[in-house]
Amino acid sequence: MKKTVKFIIRHFILLFLSVIWLIPILWLFVTSFSGYKGINTSHFFPETWTLDNYAQLFFRSDSIVQYNRWFINTLVIAIFSCLISTILVLMVSYTMSKLRFAGRKGLMSFSIILNMFPGVLSMIAIYFILKTIGLTNSHLGMIIVYSAGAGLGYLICKGFMDTISVSLSEAARLEGASEAKIFWSVIIPLSKPIIVYTVINAFLAPWGDFVFAKLMLNSGVATDWTVAIGLFNMLGRSMINKYFSVFCAGGVIIAIPISILFVIMQKFYVEGITGGSVKG
Amino acid sequence: MKKALNTLGNYFKNFGIAFVKGDIWVKLSAVLMGAGYFARKQVINGIIMCLVEVLFAVLCIGYAAPNLAKFGTLGTVQFEQVFDPLTMTSTVNDYDNSFLILLNSIISLFIIFVFIVFYISNMKAVYRLQQKKENGEHINNFREDVRTMFNEKFHITLLTLPAIGIIIMNILPILVLVAVAFTNYDQQHMPPNALFTWVGWSNFKNLFTSSVTVTFGYSFKKVLVWTLEWAVLATFTTYIGGILMAKFINDKKTKLPKLWRTLFIIAIAVPQFVTLLLVRNFFADSGIVNTFCNSIGFTDFLKNIGLVPSNLSYIPFLTNPGWAKVMIIIINIWIGIPYQMLVATGVLMNIPEDQIESARIDGANPLQIFIKITMPYVLFVTGPSLITDFVKNINNFNVIYLLTQDVFVTSDQLLANSNAKEVDLLVTWLFRLTNEYYNYKMASVIGIIVFIICAAFTLITFTRTIKGDKEEEFQ
Amino acid sequence: MKKKVLATLLATAMVAGCLAGCGNSDGGAASTPATDEAAPAEDTAPAEDAAPAEDAAPAEDTADSADASGSPIDTLIANTTGTVTMTVWASEEDQDLTTKLLDDFKAAYPDVTFDITLGAESESTAKDTILTDVEAAADVFAFADDQINELVQAGALQEVAAHYTYDVAAENASGAVEAATVDGKLYAYPMTADNGYFMFYDSSVFTEDDVQSLEKMVEVADAAGKKIAMDISNGWYIYAFFQGAGLELTLNDDGMTNTCTWNAAGGTDVAQSILDLTASNVFVDMGDEDMATQIAEGNVVACVNGTWRAETAAEAWGDNYAATKLPTFNVAGKDCQMSSYSGYKLVGVNPHSANLGWAMLLAEFLTNEDAQTARFEARGLGPANLAAASSDAVQSNPAIAALAAQAAYATPQRVGGNFWSPAETLGQILASGNPDGTDLQELLDTTVEGITAPVE
Repeated sequence: MKKTVKFIIRHFILLFLSVIWLIPILWLFVTSFSGYKGINTSHFFPETWTLDNYAQLFFRSDSIVQYNRWFINTLVIAIFSCLISTILVLMVSYTMSKLRFAGRKGLMSFSIILNMFPGVLSMIAIYFILKTIGLTNSHLGMIIVYSAGAGLGYLICKGFMDTISVSLSEAARLEGASEAKIFWSVIIPLSKPIIVYTVINAFLAPWGDFVFAKLMLNSGVATDWTVAIGLFNMLGRSMINKYFSVFCAGGVIIAIPISILFVIMQKFYVEGITGGSVKG
Repeated sequence: MKKALNTLGNYFKNFGIAFVKGDIWVKLSAVLMGAGYFARKQVINGIIMCLVEVLFAVLCIGYAAPNLAKFGTLGTVQFEQVFDPLTMTSTVNDYDNSFLILLNSIISLFIIFVFIVFYISNMKAVYRLQQKKENGEHINNFREDVRTMFNEKFHITLLTLPAIGIIIMNILPILVLVAVAFTNYDQQHMPPNALFTWVGWSNFKNLFTSSVTVTFGYSFKKVLVWTLEWAVLATFTTYIGGILMAKFINDKKTKLPKLWRTLFIIAIAVPQFVTLLLVRNFFADSGIVNTFCNSIGFTDFLKNIGLVPSNLSYIPFLTNPGWAKVMIIIINIWIGIPYQMLVATGVLMNIPEDQIESARIDGANPLQIFIKITMPYVLFVTGPSLITDFVKNINNFNVIYLLTQDVFVTSDQLLANSNAKEVDLLVTWLFRLTNEYYNYKMASVIGIIVFIICAAFTLITFTRTIKGDKEEEFQ
Repeated sequence: MKKKVLATLLATAMVAGCLAGCGNSDGGAASTPATDEAAPAEDTAPAEDAAPAEDAAPAEDTADSADASGSPIDTLIANTTGTVTMTVWASEEDQDLTTKLLDDFKAAYPDVTFDITLGAESESTAKDTILTDVEAAADVFAFADDQINELVQAGALQEVAAHYTYDVAAENASGAVEAATVDGKLYAYPMTADNGYFMFYDSSVFTEDDVQSLEKMVEVADAAGKKIAMDISNGWYIYAFFQGAGLELTLNDDGMTNTCTWNAAGGTDVAQSILDLTASNVFVDMGDEDMATQIAEGNVVACVNGTWRAETAAEAWGDNYAATKLPTFNVAGKDCQMSSYSGYKLVGVNPHSANLGWAMLLAEFLTNEDAQTARFEARGLGPANLAAASSDAVQSNPAIAALAAQAAYATPQRVGGNFWSPAETLGQILASGNPDGTDLQELLDTTVEGITAPVE
């Protein structure tokens, strides 16, 4: 009897917590179906239900809402920057974890410190560097912004590779494999969880960043934007009362694929992080 | 420190030795970099070195020299434009753009620095070749040299590309901004229309002195204190919360742990800027939470106990300094716990079961087990990442900016005079200084300070993991 | 092709000389470039010389055909080879109208190929995007007149040194022209004259007498259990109280620092009066977005705001929608009329534009009488153009009538950047009832010190 009560209390607490965690998400979801375009401040659920917000996103592109274009832009940027960053991260973490060379530790300390510099500040300098090579207002420029510095974020990945036994690469080395071959055919296959982790993180960055994107894509032309700038723009002072529920619909649309990605990759994600964070 | 100086000393000493003891070819390499290779029949290497040298010379004359010539003043020719109303065109003079001069000069200096390092190592390499020849050792041909790039020198191959990216995206911008901290680059001196120039340490002095009109010193202290408070609170609340939640969900007595975990994960799968902007409207002064609290009388209750000023008809969730700080922490818990829970789940899975088992046999209750065994283990494992999180929180731009921008108005007049707010972190403050007030000089100074603080915290923890030989332990 | 260009250039040279004369004899043709250089030429060119020149040209006896052969516009068309690529920024709400105007513009110059990109950039935040990188900003952009000082200082505005299709200074309201002028030079093309604020109210709650005094309005609203909203924690609005009570805030000659007398005698009375008004909890501090929702929800029955909220208010209150000048408020027993900033929206041309000539023509096109009339018809925005503003439709628009009534008490906005943060904070403190109980004089002293702080 006491056990059942405890059992019920335990699950009741969990239920209560999940409700707290999901209320804003639920609000996002229901508001995306609201017939009223502004913020509904007196009712949680919309008074009139409609699919119009989604229709506006997908079928009524104008100079403010270009959701299809935003989605494609962001997808392209995300795919390329995630490819490049993953490759860069793997290169650095393998070097730092498995190779021994003069100045390795110095380089590691240096890179960790370098990573501490607040990104929002170096933004303006990066903007002008890219402007001199003519890459502002281009998606190639955005890919560079998101991926070029990725090498610095190698710590977790390196930590994971540290846990891969050294005997495996020793064995390969005895068989006469080159370092390049060991990297490619021994270490990479074993690092699957951390690769998935790195890929997800790199893939997600362009979907959530509006600060860099807003600075770099400053032509004011909606078709150039990413999803994040487009949605952020909808909540501007003069727009919020006409676009709030459209914003919610846009939020739901990006949340769906990302949630699915997360749920599927959960296992890898957990293994990746913890494998890496064991060593920091 | 002494060791570093020694290394540096040896570095130049070896260069000297190479130059003095080298034969005529090595000495010739000091002028024509490929000479030493030609002498040892490494023709391709020789050609490459000569090409590098020529390229550098061209860069120096065409790019570095004109920019570095103006580096001392950062330009003297002001932008001027004359409009001809009849042809409807305008002519612009050959003006100086201080920022571009600064940027290009720093890139030039960087290139020169890299070349010098390259030059010195070239001399050493050439001397080593000479020694090899004298000792009758095998000298690699070009193909063999290439092969070493995938074996002994594989690290160079792997690091080149990431290094180029990091130089462009991190090192050069940082150097530029460190330089900006010593100039008067602000809204009154903005290129291309105006010039800016060097002012020495005066921006740093401004940050540490306070007068009635220049309140940067006052604001800096306040913002710094809140930044640290926030970083500590935000890190620990989410950390502890994440562990507790992971423990709770992974407990054998919990049914369907995967379902529960997924429910919480959904909350972080929605991009942060969406949830934060949403939550901001959720808790707005006339938002839905306030409507609800008002209708159940909660607002009046808070008024009665003095938590809400009596002249307000709403709870100032994000508009009153005290309330806003608490709300920011709470909302951050909401965002941060699911993530920490994921991490903790993984860590808890690896916990040594036998210890817990033996403790249980000894009669320890679950709480004791948690405090005595689980926590120390988790702390041990995640200690370093705790520091990373702490530093990340010092620089946590999104949460603060998205929740308070356009909503929060400071009621501290001295803060207002230097464009800061009670809820600002150093990063959000410097972001606003650049983005809204174009005060790049002060923002750079603040950026450098943030950098120093974070670097100090990181060094303390990471030197422990890096310097020690723990890396090999797991291998 | 070369020959044609040469011929045009020659024709330009010839006609340019006599054009001034023609313009003179015609009583000022709209197409005359009224430049500083041209002005003296106009005076010196003897009318006698001009007249025969006009006669000599066969079948060219109208001013129209005269400038067809040699005006700067023709020179420009002749000199334009290839596609003219330009970017235009207009606010999100103005996109449809601007798209239409751009098509008309292209149609007006059929010989030239245009590639004009229209971007969305709100007038109120245009400055933020432009100043980050002036060279990357649009060729032609719309902005609110409060940003003109900073934009001129950053070299982001091309001086309107000459006009080609209509006389910018003469055809627009003098207040609008003044707002577009810095140091005696005209820097922008007035687009609307409605960016100031006034009082919206629900006439089912307030009578016309009620809205004369803010205290009376508070009383009435209190009885009805409703609220009156104003964005008090905002320098732009709080100015209304202090200026209304006769205290001053002006920009110094350096164009950067301010002079402010808010802490002078009577200042504390104004502060006290704001405290009294807000203490009732009927007159509330509320941001623009919140106001829109609260009006729609029916909680707010009167608000101080601008024409951009007219639609919201008209929708919510229907036939009871009314607007008027700002009320009086009570300062130490005396009724003072609330002042306000008169606001204008302007169109500017980027001096870094690669097609400066076309950018200027486009700016003129976007702000001429027809465009301003179209803008009023499409969005109810008050024209700055005198002819467009005199139409019956404009005159009978309640919001614009209210603005006109308020105009007598409004001042153009000339203020340095250091004003905003301290004033915003002052508003916030007063609106929240001075929670720390700071001495009012001390409060104002600190505010004024911040506002008048030197700019390095």
